Amino acid sequence: MTLSHAAHVPSPARPRRLPAGLAAVTPAFALVAVVFVLPVLALLLRSVLEPEPGLQNYAAFFASTTYLKVLGNTFLVAATVTVATVLLGFPVAWFLAIAPGFWSRLLFAVVILSMWTNLLARTYAWMVLLQRTGLINRTLMNLGLISEPLPLINNLVGVTIGMTYIMLPFMILPLHATIRSIDPSVFQAASLCGASRWQAFTRVMLPLTATGIAAGALMVFVMSLGYFITPALLGGTSNMMLAELIAQLVQSLLDWGLAGAAALVLLVVTLAIYAVQLRFFGFGQARS
Amino acid sequence: MLLDFSRLGPWRLVLVLIALLVGAYLLLPILLIVGLSFGSSRWLQFPPPGWTLRWYRELFDDPAWIASFLTSFRIAAVVTVLSVVIGLMASFGLTRGEFRGRELLRALFLTPMILPVVVLAVALYAFFLRLHLNGTFTGFVLAHLVVALPFSIIAISNALERFDRDIETAAIVCGASPLEAKLRVTLPGIRLGLMSAALFSFLASWDEVVIAIFMASPDLQTLPVRIFSTLRQDLSPVIAAVSTVLIALTAGLMALAALLRKDARS
Amino acid sequence: MTCFLDIRGITKSFGKVAAVSDVSLEIARGEFMTFLGPSGSGKSTTLYMIAGFFDPSAGDIRLEGRSILREPSNRRNIGMVFQRYTLFPHLSVAENVAFPLRVRRRPAAEIARKVEQMLALVRLEGFADRMPAQLSGGQQQRVALARALAYDPPLLLMDEPLSALDKKLREEIQVEIRRIHRETGVTILYVTHDQEEALSLSDRVALFNHGRIEQVGKGRDLYEAPRTRFVAGFVGHSNFLDCTIAAHAGERADIVLPDGSRLPELPIDRQAPVGAAARLMIRPDRLRISSPAGADAPAGIDAVLSDATFIGETFHFALTTAWGGALNVRMPSHTLPPAGHGVGQRVRLSWAPGDARLFAE
Ligand SMILES: Nc1ncnc2c1ncn2[C@@H]1O[C@H](COP(=O)(O)OP(=O)(O)OP(=O)(O)O)[C@@H](O)[C@H]1O
Ligand SMILES: [Mg+2]
Repeated sequence: MTLSHAAHVPSPARPRRLPAGLAAVTPAFALVAVVFVLPVLALLLRSVLEPEPGLQNYAAFFASTTYLKVLGNTFLVAATVTVATVLLGFPVAWFLAIAPGFWSRLLFAVVILSMWTNLLARTYAWMVLLQRTGLINRTLMNLGLISEPLPLINNLVGVTIGMTYIMLPFMILPLHATIRSIDPSVFQAASLCGASRWQAFTRVMLPLTATGIAAGALMVFVMSLGYFITPALLGGTSNMMLAELIAQLVQSLLDWGLAGAAALVLLVVTLAIYAVQLRFFGFGQARS
Repeated sequence: MLLDFSRLGPWRLVLVLIALLVGAYLLLPILLIVGLSFGSSRWLQFPPPGWTLRWYRELFDDPAWIASFLTSFRIAAVVTVLSVVIGLMASFGLTRGEFRGRELLRALFLTPMILPVVVLAVALYAFFLRLHLNGTFTGFVLAHLVVALPFSIIAISNALERFDRDIETAAIVCGASPLEAKLRVTLPGIRLGLMSAALFSFLASWDEVVIAIFMASPDLQTLPVRIFSTLRQDLSPVIAAVSTVLIALTAGLMALAALLRKDARS
Repeated sequence: MTCFLDIRGITKSFGKVAAVSDVSLEIARGEFMTFLGPSGSGKSTTLYMIAGFFDPSAGDIRLEGRSILREPSNRRNIGMVFQRYTLFPHLSVAENVAFPLRVRRRPAAEIARKVEQMLALVRLEGFADRMPAQLSGGQQQRVALARALAYDPPLLLMDEPLSALDKKLREEIQVEIRRIHRETGVTILYVTHDQEEALSLSDRVALFNHGRIEQVGKGRDLYEAPRTRFVAGFVGHSNFLDCTIAAHAGERADIVLPDGSRLPELPIDRQAPVGAAARLMIRPDRLRISSPAGADAPAGIDAVLSDATFIGETFHFALTTAWGGALNVRMPSHTLPPAGHGVGQRVRLSWAPGDARLFAE
C-alpha cells in the first residue's frame, strides 16, 4: 500500500442548491460567451446576411482568382514554414536532449529568449536584415556572390524566413520533450541487434518520434495559417495571406460579408486540423 | 548510441553544425536590435559607425511613446488581476465541479487561445463598434481578458489538480470554515500556479497586437500598436531602442520565472 | 446512561450500492476502537460520516448525547489523521500544529504553549521550524497527530494513518500511538486492514464486511470465539473442512465428515437442520499430531502429511485427508520429537474440546 494508491478523502458534505462549481465558472462563461462566442458568431453570420441573405459571398470568394491565390499563398507559406521548422527543429531538439549540460542549457536559453521576445521586435529585426540595403544583401554583395540586391522583403520569401524564425521554438520544445522521453537502452538494443546508425535512426528514432513530429508540425501549420503580424510587415501587397486579406476587407474595403466568409474559411480549416490533432494525439497534445 | 552524445560518431558534427546555425539564426536578430539601438546610424548600418544614446533619448523624450507605454502597462495590470481572479474561480469550478459538460466548458474557455487572433480581432472590432467600446480602456481590457484567460485557467487548473485536496479537507476538520480553508491553505498551496497565471496573463496582454491594432484610437494606443504603425512608415532606430527595452523586460521576467521554478523544486 | 459516542443504525448508499448498512456501535469515553475489514467493506465511509464528509442516508450519530449530524465538519471539533500526508506544505511544523488554534482565535501565548506541549507529546521538540517537505513520512504523520490533538478534541479519527510507512516505522509509531492514547485519554477510532495492527493497538475491534459489522469485541474474543465464518476466516489463520450436520441439540451439533467418520458435540454458530452442510473450523496452532488410529488414539481426523516446513520457532505442516481436504498445522519447533514427522506419514489430528467450531452454511 503506497501513497499513490491511497484513496482521496471525500470533501466535507455541504447542503447546496446549485451543482457544485457552477457558480464559480459563471464569470468566465459570461466573459467568453459575450466577448468571444457572440462576436465571432455575429461576424460569421454577416457572411450569409450581407449585403443580402445568401451564399454569394462564398461564391465570390471561391470564384475570384485573387482570393484563391491568397488561399494558395497561405497554404504554401504554412507548408514551407512547417517543413523548414521540422528540418531545422529536429536536429536542434536532438542536440538539446543529449548535448553536454552547458551547451544544451545555453542553446535552450536562446530558444526561450527568442520565443519570449516581443513579436514586433523580432519582426523589426528581420525587416532590417532583409531590406534591400540590409545586412544580408550587403554581406552577399561584399562577398561578390551577387551583384544586385536579392528581393528578400515584401514578398513570400521574407514572410517565410520571418515565420520560420517565429515558429521554430514551437517545434523545438515539444520535440525536445519527445526525444528526452526515449529510453536510451532501445538504441543499445538496436545496436546489439546489428543495426547501423542509419538503420537505428530510420527504424527506431524516427518511429519513436513520429507522433511528436506530427503533433508539432500540425501546431506550426495551423498557427501559420492564421498569422497576421509577420506577413503584414514582411510581405508585399501583391502576395497577401488570408489573415491580411480579412483585415484588409474590413479596414479598407468595409466588405463585412466577404470578410466573414474569409474568416469562416480560416476557422473551418483551423478547426479541422485541430480535430485531426485531437483524434490522433488526444487532448493533452492539443492543449500544451 | 543515438542518444549518447559521445558515441554519435560523424553524426555529431552534423548535429553540432545545425545546432550552431540555428542558435545563430535565433540569437543574431536579437543581438542586432540591441546593437542598432546604440548605433549612431539613422540608416541602420551594421556594424554601426559609432555609438550613441540618442535613440533612447528620443524615445524617453517623446510623450506619445511614454503614454503608450503607460497605457499598455495599465491595461495589462488590470487584465492580470481580472484574469487571475476569474481564472481561479473557473479553475475551481472546472477541477472540482460536479456538473455535466465540464470538459466541454474547459474546451470552450481554451478556444480563444487556438483560434486565429485575426478572426477575433475583426469580430470584436465590429461588436465594439456597436457598443462604442473601440478605443476605450474597457474595450481593451475586455478583449485582452479573453486572450489572457486561457493561460490563467491552464496554469491554475494544473496547480489545483496537483494540489492534494485532502489537505484542504484536513484544514476543515481542524476547524477552518470551507472558505477559510481555501484562503489559508489552498491558495498558498497553489501560489506558484497563481504567479505563473499572472505572468502569462500580463504577457498575453502586454504583447497583444492584432486586436489592439483594430481597436486603437489615436488617443488610446498600446505600445505594440505604436510600434506597428511606426514600422509601417519607416524603420527608425527608435524602434530598436523600444525593442531593446522590451527584450530587457523579457529577460527579467524569464529570470523571475526561472527563480519561481527553482523555488518550486526546493 | 448514555454512552460517549453512539452510532445508531447508520446507512450510506451511493446510488444502488449500500456502502454502509445499518451499522450500530457504542463507544465508551477513552476507548481505542479499531475498524478492521477487507477493502471496500465500509470502514472509511463510516468514519467519514462521523467526520461529516458524508451525510448518512439513515441513522444518527450522537456524541455525548447530542446528535452531531447537523454540524458541518469544521464545527464538530473532531481530530483526524489521514492516510495521505496532509500537512500544510507552506507552513512550518509549529505553524501546522498551531493552525487549528489560530482558526479558533486562541490567544498567542496559549498557542505557543500548546504547540510546545504537542510537539513534546509526539517527540518532535527540535522540529518546530522545519517545513513538511523536510520531514520523513513517519515524522509527517506524527506532526499530523500533534495537529489533530492540539485543540483537545474529545474524539480522534485515524484512517489508515500508517499504511504509507514501511513495516519497521509502522511498528515504532504504533507504540507511540498507544502511549499517546494512554497519556491523553482521548477516544480513538482507528481504521486499518492490517489485523496485527488492529489487535495490538485497540481495546476493541469492530470487524466490517460488506458494509456491516460482523462482530465487535476484544481482539482475543474475535480470535477465540468468532461468531461467524467470516470472522473466523479473517482474524488469524484457520482450517475449514466441509461436513454435514448429523444431529443438533442446543448450541452443539454432531457432524459427519465426507469419509463417514462422525464427530460429536461441537459448538455451532446457529440452528441448522440435520443433513445441512456446515464447515468445521480449527486453528492451525490448536491441532495436535499423533500416531495414526490405534486403540489409544484420541478422537480426531486421519490425514497424510504432504509437506513439512521449518521456519524458525515453528514448524508448518500441510496435511491431506482421505477425501482430499487440506489442513495446516503449526507447532512450536521445540515440542516436536527430534526425528520430526516424515512426509507421507499417516497421522491422526486431534484438538482440545472447544477448539473446533462449526459454522452452518
Ligand atoms: N464517493 C463514493 N461514491 C460511490 N461509491 C463509494 C464512494 N465512496 C465509497 N464508495 C463505495 O463504498 C464502499 C465502501 O468503501 P469504503 O471506502 O468505506 O471502504 P473501506 O472499508 O474504507 O476500504 P479500504 O480498506 O479499501 O479503504 C466501496 O464499495 C466503495 O466503492
Ligand atoms: Mg478506506
